[in-house]
Amino acid sequence: MQQRRPLDQVYTNRKLLNGQLDTPRWWLPTVSILGVLVLIGIGVIAIMVNKGLGVTGLSRPVFWGLFITTFVFWVGISHAGIMISAILRLTQAEWRRPVTRAAELLTVFSLLTALVFPLIHAGRPWRIAYWITPYDLGRGIYPNIRSPLIWDPVAIGTYLTGSTLFLYVALLPDLGNLRDRTTGWRNSLYTVLALGWRGNPRQWKLQTVGGILLSALMLPIFVSVHSIVSWDFAVVPAVEGWHSTIFAPYFVIGAIHSGVSAVVTMMALMRWLWKWDDFIRPEHFDALARLLIVVATAWLGFTFLELIFAVYGQDAPEIALREMQMFQWPWNMLFIIFLLCAYLIPVPMWLFKRVRTNIALMFWTSILVNIGMWLERFLIIVPGLSRRTPFVYVWDSYRPSAVEWTILIWSFCWVTFLMLLFSKFFPLVPLFEQKESQVFTDDVMIGRARVPAIIREAD
Amino acid sequence: MTTASLKGPNWGMVVDVDKCIGCMACVIACQAENNVPLNTQDRVERGRAISWIRVERYWEGDFPDSKARFIPIMCQHCANAPCEPVCPVFATYHNSEGLNIQVYNRCVGTRYCANGCPYIVRFFNYWEPVWPESLRNHLNPDVTVRSRGIMEKCTFCVHRIRRESRKARSEGRVLLDGEVQTACSTACPTSALNFGNFNDPNSKVSKMKDDQRHYTLLDQFATEPNVIYLAKVDTDRKVGAGEAASHG
Amino acid sequence: MASEVVATGQVAGHHALPAQIDADVVARELVATTMGASRRFKAIAWTLGILSIAGIVALVLKWIDQSDDSTRWGYVAALVTFLLSVTGGAPMVAMAPVFAKANWVRPVTRIAAMFSFAGVVTVIMLIPLVALLPPLVTEGARRRTIWFEAPDYSPHFWSTLGLVLLLFTGLALFYSAAIPDFASMRDHSTGWRQRWGKKLARGWVGTNAQWRTLRMRIGMFGTFYFLILVFVNFLITTDFGQSLVPGWRDAIFPMYHTISSLQAGVAGVVVALWAARRYMHLEKYVHVDAFWSLGRLLFALTLLWVYFFYSSFIVFWWGRSATDIATLDLLIKGPMMYVFIAGMLLIWFVPWWILIWNKVRRSVNGMAIGAAVILVGVLLDRIRIFVPAWSVPSDQIHERWLTKIPGTVYPDLFDILIMAGGISLAVLIIMLMTRVIPVLSVWQVQEFNLLAKPIKYMRGHATLIAKPD
Repeated sequence: MQQRRPLDQVYTNRKLLNGQLDTPRWWLPTVSILGVLVLIGIGVIAIMVNKGLGVTGLSRPVFWGLFITTFVFWVGISHAGIMISAILRLTQAEWRRPVTRAAELLTVFSLLTALVFPLIHAGRPWRIAYWITPYDLGRGIYPNIRSPLIWDPVAIGTYLTGSTLFLYVALLPDLGNLRDRTTGWRNSLYTVLALGWRGNPRQWKLQTVGGILLSALMLPIFVSVHSIVSWDFAVVPAVEGWHSTIFAPYFVIGAIHSGVSAVVTMMALMRWLWKWDDFIRPEHFDALARLLIVVATAWLGFTFLELIFAVYGQDAPEIALREMQMFQWPWNMLFIIFLLCAYLIPVPMWLFKRVRTNIALMFWTSILVNIGMWLERFLIIVPGLSRRTPFVYVWDSYRPSAVEWTILIWSFCWVTFLMLLFSKFFPLVPLFEQKESQVFTDDVMIGRARVPAIIREAD
Repeated sequence: MTTASLKGPNWGMVVDVDKCIGCMACVIACQAENNVPLNTQDRVERGRAISWIRVERYWEGDFPDSKARFIPIMCQHCANAPCEPVCPVFATYHNSEGLNIQVYNRCVGTRYCANGCPYIVRFFNYWEPVWPESLRNHLNPDVTVRSRGIMEKCTFCVHRIRRESRKARSEGRVLLDGEVQTACSTACPTSALNFGNFNDPNSKVSKMKDDQRHYTLLDQFATEPNVIYLAKVDTDRKVGAGEAASHG
Repeated sequence: MASEVVATGQVAGHHALPAQIDADVVARELVATTMGASRRFKAIAWTLGILSIAGIVALVLKWIDQSDDSTRWGYVAALVTFLLSVTGGAPMVAMAPVFAKANWVRPVTRIAAMFSFAGVVTVIMLIPLVALLPPLVTEGARRRTIWFEAPDYSPHFWSTLGLVLLLFTGLALFYSAAIPDFASMRDHSTGWRQRWGKKLARGWVGTNAQWRTLRMRIGMFGTFYFLILVFVNFLITTDFGQSLVPGWRDAIFPMYHTISSLQAGVAGVVVALWAARRYMHLEKYVHVDAFWSLGRLLFALTLLWVYFFYSSFIVFWWGRSATDIATLDLLIKGPMMYVFIAGMLLIWFVPWWILIWNKVRRSVNGMAIGAAVILVGVLLDRIRIFVPAWSVPSDQIHERWLTKIPGTVYPDLFDILIMAGGISLAVLIIMLMTRVIPVLSVWQVQEFNLLAKPIKYMRGHATLIAKPD
């Protein structure tokens, strides 16, 4: 924590607004290439919708595969935003400040991406209006609110709305800042978006109260979203590997694990690409990695509980399923990779401060975590369905087709593309948070030791 | 009108496993009756074959003392069906006649019902169905051809139920036992498949279902199926109902 | 510039922290609180002592009378898990400063760690249960447990060992954080307290090396304690609850108990802190701030309880397979339905509505009421889980699921005496500990005063809180 150096406001403004006012040279080529990839992906999706789901590798009984895995994965990533912004805000963790914006953005964009998957994986996506909106009330056709698939859009829709508001409220001061530094159409854009932000005490108060209220309101939603996603699986008693009471907290803690790791990946990229070494500092990686150690270990505990109680029932089908998941080719390979990536490689490394403050290592370990967490979802969903049921005539396995892999890659390109596009118009590190943190931190002398300290209001 | 007729039928099937010889006539009859697309080699290999009723063969005992067993499995039309509450659009629901109904028009193809079904008797149309030119005119006009992207499954030949009920109503009488027969039960040469009304205490199936050999498949899911199985009687060995049930 | 700075909770009207109290005064005053005892203290201690003895006698008599019928021992099991929750969960509050660097928690740590001593009662009460727990293999068949292929009597051995280990780790945690205070007693106390202080302080003078070791020990024992707590909750609740009911498979169950244990522990600390503050006149050291922060924690844990409960409930209720239905019939709809409803209200609904108000969380008495309600709720919750679980006859233990739901088991006189006695004994032990060592950690109070400094900020007051690495 001792690497802090005083930064003056002019420097802070210039550096943090470089994405908007002084766009780096790599930006345009990168966004163009990503744009082309995104278009290719959308083309593939269009072909799939046109031809039918036969182009995927799905079969019977593996009716759900890579798309649902990826859906769960992206919903999981979206938990980064609220974890970092809301929880750390309410617990007043000072180190969260430079990270909040990026985390909230990740929430919004990954949710937008996640929503695509249940839509395109449906047999008749154009009829999904039946499903999400009860437009056909006149004929008495309602959505079935008993179905977890109705809870999903409700939960995710609420979460998306809340996150977008949360992002916007936190963006207001920076929009005002940008408005004052731009001309022409951009100035008009920021003028409209800034909603007359002038930075007077009343506005600051409202912005702060709004932020706290949204944080507190978002927390239950944050927990509920992934719980509800997990209930898509957990409530189904027919699939032995899914019907487990632990799924809700297990999924939530796993989502935090993968989401916070994704934030670490993003922070490293931001530090490298925009050269924000003064703002995204090793101490932030250090703090996030400490958090990740706790989260990952809790997650591992839940994983073991899930496995132990799977076998606990001593029901033959469930034991057969677990045996397949862990010991049969190719699931055993995936299972080992999953465990290595999600826990056994990164967490022991994070125990060392030298690793925690090494940005390159943090970047790669956080990517490992997300590979592992994607596999975790895959290993829950697919072996669960391709289980050896008592009916030998329906045994089948699953291999994702090229179309599915392309769409998976598309989703990553799409999120990156949105992020970069956003960075052209809005600062990725909140300026006001950054400045506030400069004001609210200080050093005190205790005896002969210089100790970092935080200023808190006393009423 | 008496209360008995108000109560309506509760359609169900009793499958006497002891009589099943595994001839697959039911499978073919169902395929032809219900406009099920042909199961080409490619479809079978990709695990996308559609067959509303299937006859599973399994072996009991070790070679060479092994015996082939057959069990026909179709939609169990569970009273407490796990596929129904999961459907977000009510495309599958339970009607007042004990049938598990699939509404093709409403289905959006989430395939959640198929995951919920422990008997794995629900089928998804991965492709638009096609038939060779030679079979152009063979389709049953009473049965909808299902487009791609929706689920389908055994309907207990609901079109036959409707046809016979209409006929009986127009003749001003109640349906007689045995008047409605599904395609599979008609085709079964050994009367292993018996279709009828469980609400009629005098029907054949009502009498059969109380046989001491009766069991239901996968009773641990508490699905209360409307398909009752009668256990295989083995002359060499006594096979209790419980033991047979633990197979499925 | 406004921000989400939240006031460090001083009572309205008092700006900034109270004047800094000299470290030496803190030591002398806090050590003085251990000496002597008021008449009220003695009266309460005697009453609790008599109740405790009655409880132990009742336990012995119940063993003589009913040791052949394990279905009658559910209330003792409920008491064991209740005590495990409170006395096991409370010390977790003691290690928060090490990890979260939160300043408010420092004065509270001692009273939290003291709960470890009451863990002795849990061990005593477990003894008959271990003797009654059916072996893994009965009538040649192995029942469902977490001990898949382990030797017979594994749960008996490991659960007992785990609980004893938890007790000793808790005591080690207590002792490692108490060494500087024994030194204070050596320096400021008289009589046997001084002699014992001298012995137990083990030459503490406060060198850098000693402080480093101290912090390392607290961190180590704290981490270890948490892991053991999770593990013991896992063992005790599955071996003495879940595995006694055929077909009950609930993966979240151990975690549910761990969360609930933290909730009960924090509630216990709040009640104890309230009593200590009020009757030992520690208003100068225990600020409303501590209650306020504990309140937020308690509120969060209360919400987590209902989340964990619901996560498990919905999977059974929605899944409605045969085992799911049987489990719900046993635990929620069946013999203990009214206890379940009452427990649900007291562990979650009522505290939720009490603690949701910031005004209540920022008050001492309001927090004490909320916490007391939670403690009663936790007890009822344990009763509704463990009494029906134990009431399943052991000849049904191998079935695939419960086909016949047993009837309600009402507590007999023994049960009531045992429960009253067990809880009294736990309270008595904590009370007596306050005569042995200051109920607030002297060095942590000193540190608390050292690290938080009232400052003038712009036109207002603020607090500067140091966060040492």
